Amino acid sequence: MTYGKKETEKKQEHHDHHGHTEEHFKEKHLMLDPLPRGVMNDMVMEAVTEKPSWKWWTTVFVLSAVVVYCLIYSWYRLIAEGVGIAGVNRPSYWGIFLVNTVFWIGISHAGTFISAILRVFKAEFRRPFTRVAELMTTFGLVQAGFSIFMHMGRVWLAYWLMPYPNQRMLWPNFHSPLSWDLLAITTYLLSSTMYLFLPLIPDLAMARDKTTGWRKNFYRILALGFRGTEGEWTHLRNAMNIFAFAIIPVMFSVHTIVSWDFAAATRPGWNSTIFGPYFVIGALHSGMGAAVVVLAAVRKFIKNMDYFIRAEHFDAIGKLMLIISMGWAYFFFNDYMVQWYGGDKWTKQLLHFHEAGPLGWMWFAMLIVNIAIPWAILWNPKWRSTPWLVSTVGILINVGMWFERYIIIPISLTINRMPFTWRMYTPGIEIPLGIGTLVLFILLYVIFSKLIPMIPVWEVQEGQMAHQLKKFGRETVVQVSELE
Amino acid sequence: MAESKSKKSPGVLAVFGDLEPTADAIEQLRKLGVSDDCMNIVSGVPVTEAMFGRPKQWSNVPRVAMGGAILGFSAAAFLAFIAPYWYPYPIQVSTQAYVPWPPTFVLFFELTMLGMLLSTFLAVFLDSFFPNYRPMQYVPEVSDGKYAIIVDCDHVPESKVKDLLKKLGAESIKPAEAKQL
Repeated sequence: MTYGKKETEKKQEHHDHHGHTEEHFKEKHLMLDPLPRGVMNDMVMEAVTEKPSWKWWTTVFVLSAVVVYCLIYSWYRLIAEGVGIAGVNRPSYWGIFLVNTVFWIGISHAGTFISAILRVFKAEFRRPFTRVAELMTTFGLVQAGFSIFMHMGRVWLAYWLMPYPNQRMLWPNFHSPLSWDLLAITTYLLSSTMYLFLPLIPDLAMARDKTTGWRKNFYRILALGFRGTEGEWTHLRNAMNIFAFAIIPVMFSVHTIVSWDFAAATRPGWNSTIFGPYFVIGALHSGMGAAVVVLAAVRKFIKNMDYFIRAEHFDAIGKLMLIISMGWAYFFFNDYMVQWYGGDKWTKQLLHFHEAGPLGWMWFAMLIVNIAIPWAILWNPKWRSTPWLVSTVGILINVGMWFERYIIIPISLTINRMPFTWRMYTPGIEIPLGIGTLVLFILLYVIFSKLIPMIPVWEVQEGQMAHQLKKFGRETVVQVSELE
Repeated sequence: MAESKSKKSPGVLAVFGDLEPTADAIEQLRKLGVSDDCMNIVSGVPVTEAMFGRPKQWSNVPRVAMGGAILGFSAAAFLAFIAPYWYPYPIQVSTQAYVPWPPTFVLFFELTMLGMLLSTFLAVFLDSFFPNYRPMQYVPEVSDGKYAIIVDCDHVPESKVKDLLKKLGAESIKPAEAKQL
């Protein structure tokens, strides 16, 4: 029982001048609709421990089969037969592998954005879905890592990227953006995994207390002996604060460095000083789109999640998506305008190729799904609070952002300063491998939904303690106390 | 001496259903002569020390984080400025200096942040004695939102502590025996 709940338990018989009753607020806001902690724990653990249905097993089987064929078998073929079976060739040496690398790193950005930035700014709506978002960061980065290893071809030589003294007495230095990538992505993957684990510890301890058998042992090992003493909470809180602040510049650095892989080359269409922020906003755009899709799926397919994830959360994410879409449009136009105005012959040729070339439809589709559709739908509070609608927009944004990366990488590589090399890129083995990464991402969510509590219950309870209704004159308003 | 130690009471573990009575109980225990060092509060949410009227908890996490940042920075300095000169064939890139500043800044930033975040994570383990799979004083009700006060005090009679806690609304009072979690 919390003091926040005590306040909300007082029956509010009267209506305010909008006709809103306490029930109205409860229905609308998770933070004003507290349940006893034990009940919330049971709801979350029921979803985890309930015997999986035949639908769950079928889903896991189908997804696993796709992963085995598209990811494992196709990767085996790529290694056994060589990168010649991929579509990359002169002049498009970078194809879908790199498109997917950039795409998945972008997806991973929303996890940090939701969890760290919203935590720093104390945005209360973040509480129930920080874990779902943090998982997206880790799972997304795994796919990004796979994609870049596929691109490498001889993946067993990946350790050559490491700064170690080699037999030719050359010390690898740090002039190449690819070596910065290694540093940034490694830092981000490790940081985001640790940032996922830290707030999970109290929920693992709760799961340990609520389960028996192999699960109890599993959670006991992962909970590390956490009890919830004052000291443990203090250390955890300090660490999470440090992570929340420090991981934000790391997140910005990752996609900025990814953009430098392109911008540092003096190629038409790539050599842009605005590529860093343009990539970061693009990453947030696709990441928020993916976050809303995952959130809708969690709400739809995992038991009891409709209590924790409500229309207010889709509304809040929908607003962020709208703002980020506007930001993306601004950066896109800024980049386009300067390149167009510059008058460089090859750049003009490339811009014309983007719009009127054989894949011009992709360029227009990118603008429609990244700008027109989000703006047309997300301005409306009712529409953006509708899970299926806002998650459809999320899917479309992701299609649009994948197109954007496809346009930036293989399509832009088609046009260079040597017309005799111009040739369209046609993907080969990249297609099943790309599908494999997407399906593995989904499969990881499906499996983890049965392994860890998807809702950070302690964070939800903490938020519910801080919220109460207060009357100002005739108006009833939500009041939040700063407890952290 | 060893025998008297082994017979020492494990202390008292009282469970409260709400924050307010827990804070009251802590205050009354202090008045009874139980010092803050003899009490430990266990909760399922991060209630601050101030809410319980308890002294501020010391944490080494920020200091260890700072130490990690310095280590990361030093590792970057080693990789950028020292290591290359150990080997006879430097890699010259275009007209860039042998150790150019802008890429070196990237190296410094990433390794400093990596050092800081890794050590922050490690500091939680060190400060909280994680992982710890030994038996500990604990009640699982804490996970369900209850608050537990563990009192382990030699100079105040246990019966007095129990009476006080009962009077202040403890839902259950039991010996604070260490159990396997």
